[in-house]
Amino acid sequence: MADYEEEQQSDTESEPDFSEVTDKELQDAFSKGVLKPGLNVILEGKKAAVNSVESLKLCLAELKSDLAWVERLDVTMGLTPVLAPALEGQRQTQTPMANKSKVDAEDDFQREISFYRQAQAAVLQALPQLHRFQIPTKRPEDYFAEMAKTDQHMQKIRQKLQIKQVAMEKSEKAKQLRALKKYGKKVQTEVLQKRQKEKSSMMSAVKKYQKGLSDRLDFLEEDNSTHLGKKQGAAGPHVKRGPSAKRRYKDQKFGFGGKKKGSKRNTKESYNDVSGFRASVAHNKSSGRPTKKGASKIRHTKKRPGKTARQKLKSRAR
Amino acid sequence: MAARKRKRGGVSESIKSNKKAKITENAGGGAAENEYVIPTPVSQGKWKNKERVLVFSSRGINFRTRHLMHDLRTLMPHSKADTKMDRKDKLFVINEVCEIKNCNKCIYFEAKKKQDLYMWLANCPQGPSAKFLVQNIHTLAELKMTGNCLRGSRPLLSFDSTFDEQPHYALLKELFIQIFSTPQYHPKSQPFVDHVFTFTVVDNRIWFRNYQIIEEDASLVEIGPRFVLNLIKIFQGSFGGPTLYENAHYQSPNMHRRMLRLSTASKFREKQQMKELQKQKTEKTVVLVDSTEDVFQTPAEKPLQTETIPPKPKRNIRRKDKAFKRQRKMRQRL
Repeated sequence: MADYEEEQQSDTESEPDFSEVTDKELQDAFSKGVLKPGLNVILEGKKAAVNSVESLKLCLAELKSDLAWVERLDVTMGLTPVLAPALEGQRQTQTPMANKSKVDAEDDFQREISFYRQAQAAVLQALPQLHRFQIPTKRPEDYFAEMAKTDQHMQKIRQKLQIKQVAMEKSEKAKQLRALKKYGKKVQTEVLQKRQKEKSSMMSAVKKYQKGLSDRLDFLEEDNSTHLGKKQGAAGPHVKRGPSAKRRYKDQKFGFGGKKKGSKRNTKESYNDVSGFRASVAHNKSSGRPTKKGASKIRHTKKRPGKTARQKLKSRAR
Repeated sequence: MAARKRKRGGVSESIKSNKKAKITENAGGGAAENEYVIPTPVSQGKWKNKERVLVFSSRGINFRTRHLMHDLRTLMPHSKADTKMDRKDKLFVINEVCEIKNCNKCIYFEAKKKQDLYMWLANCPQGPSAKFLVQNIHTLAELKMTGNCLRGSRPLLSFDSTFDEQPHYALLKELFIQIFSTPQYHPKSQPFVDHVFTFTVVDNRIWFRNYQIIEEDASLVEIGPRFVLNLIKIFQGSFGGPTLYENAHYQSPNMHRRMLRLSTASKFREKQQMKELQKQKTEKTVVLVDSTEDVFQTPAEKPLQTETIPPKPKRNIRRKDKAFKRQRKMRQRL
């Protein structure tokens, strides 16, 4: 069956009207044993794509209008690596891939760069011609006209760029700080280790002396001198420093030093100062609008009992 | 608005200048008149190339397409707009629309299934026309493109060298030039050339980009819009006629989606089959019970147990009334 299908297909390729396979041919095929009973399906090959070059050319000749270049402003050219100084650095890396046929459509950056360069090449070629035809390419400073994008839109773009830049700077700073922290930690561990080492060596020297293995005491002097120097250097700035930030805050909050006696007594000013008075809270009554239902009720119940009641309470507690 | 009016035209210049002058005089101040000095027209010439392009779409386009269409209209001052076409109308009706609108070129956006966008470029009464699938659309409104140009300034058209190599690309190039180039001295156009349209063939598709020319040393900034045209067919007539070229690399979006679906389905099916196979295997490994197993039954071994609870403490058997040894000795001594 398969053989026949192939045969039929080859037939169809030779003559396009394959649907008109005559009965006689079919009968012949059956008698030969090529065609077998059952459902025979014509295999369809991939259609050849139409590409009639002659008619395309003819069409182009018809379409072509004899307009001057000034009207059309078209430039056709391959990629020539003309780059602005800003992109000069990238050229070195890009040069092996400068060949146009190698532009990878998946690689966004490379693709866009190739488009950019094509546009640049076109501009560089077209600008002298434009100047020859006295077509301006730069508008004068005082020439105001409507733009393709509105000012509002451009403002938005600028804002977005700014935000992006700020974010970049922030992340860069954070990175730096992290690196610094890491370095600081390393230094600290080193210092600690060194101190440990010094201590242990000192101790061993002392032990040696105690056992009478050596009668030298110069290790003490050495150490003392270094330690003293260090301590002075370290302590110098420390002495000048005041109390810690926490202490200072607490001092500011609760007061520090000075006379304490009588500081809580009323003065003329404090007596006259009624800024703390709130009518809604004063005298245990919630007047006007209560803040919360529950809260106002509680206030009512917590009224101060009378004097006798209070004294009774006191005696009961004893 | 006022700025725009000032710009346009040498013809109506005198009238407008009179108006402005009046206003300034009323405002009080001869010095203020200097503000409204109207510059002489930058260029003067005759508008010869009466190319007009109809830019419109079918019904059922999405917002992105609408924006793209609008962008093209803003960038092409020689374009005209029309109402959306009904989807059921036959395409050759567009020829009549073009005739009514006095246009000889046409860009027609055809949306299908609310997701696929096709673009027709046609030379209207006599053809040829080309149908493209439009992909990767980015419009002017997007914020990543920082360039800007005058509305209605004329573009440079830059083409890839492949446009000269193959006949169908040559035809497309001519079509692009005639459609996208703004005629010189067009009344709505600006006299400056400050942006470039680039058409590049990469990956059997035509990539469109729009750059602003900033400096004379050709430093550029992208303005937008961007899109990619995937050629489907070129027809001899406008919106019909015999096919001149058919893109062999083109795969319809329906087919593409179908392939994707099929691939995921096959993956799923394979997984399911594997699961079933695994199940069968595990079922097979069930050990049959030997009937002769309890013929020689041995006594069961003592099960190995680990104690989890700590043992109870020993009972204190010391008599309470009996004193310690030390106390007894002390007593004896006394």
